[in-house]
Amino acid sequence: MSMIKRLLALDGVNVVCHFRDDGKLVEGYGLMSQQEMLNLARFAHDYRRMAQGNADQLAMFTGMRGWTPPHGWILRGVAQSVCSVGNLVCLVDSIDAPLNDILLELREVSRW
Amino acid sequence: MATLDALMQLPGAMAAFEFRGSGELLEHRIAYPDRLNDSILDLLAHMCAANMSIATMQARGWERMTSMKGFYPVKAFTLVGFDWSVVVSGLHREQYKQDGKFSLPPFMGVVMSNETANYEAAFAALENQEPTP
Repeated sequence: MSMIKRLLALDGVNVVCHFRDDGKLVEGYGLMSQQEMLNLARFAHDYRRMAQGNADQLAMFTGMRGWTPPHGWILRGVAQSVCSVGNLVCLVDSIDAPLNDILLELREVSRW
Repeated sequence: MATLDALMQLPGAMAAFEFRGSGELLEHRIAYPDRLNDSILDLLAHMCAANMSIATMQARGWERMTSMKGFYPVKAFTLVGFDWSVVVSGLHREQYKQDGKFSLPPFMGVVMSNETANYEAAFAALENQEPTP
């Protein structure tokens, strides 16, 4: 069984995708079509690059250490949220999802 | 300014701040002035404002492209940095917009140490408290 599938066992996690460094989908599971998973992987890859660039610039302009390289990001919508760590991205329910546990699990799985 | 003071009670809180939609820093609290100052917070606020705007564009685009709903409006943005995280929310602004008000409250944010950060508590604090009048 794929290691990232275990993320789906967490409450509120609806989709999990693993993407390559060029944004291509490696594997994805959950309540989403294959085409939507391809798009989610591409979006997460682009957003990761943007967040990384922002953190790099913040560190450069301020001289403050500890921002870069960033571990991940969360966009919290009114009902759905997107969480990403490393090359993994999850779609989760915004209400009642255990985000602390999800982030910890994402960090753990992203190291594999 | 009870809200900023409440945010400073979160585990690992290093700073709490308010900022305009254009990114300018407004009121703020700093727990460790040797690590953070208002100049850093100002740049951080501008970065968060930019990310909220881009995330909003992406949420709207995603909902148009797919049949999925629930991403817009974007309630909060979080960057989990190497040692520090920042969580910002504009939820109260959305409530004001829905009420037809033109003068919107500021965004609010908190900087936390990753070691003890509690993201769920941060979201709860940012989303449940009454906006500053």
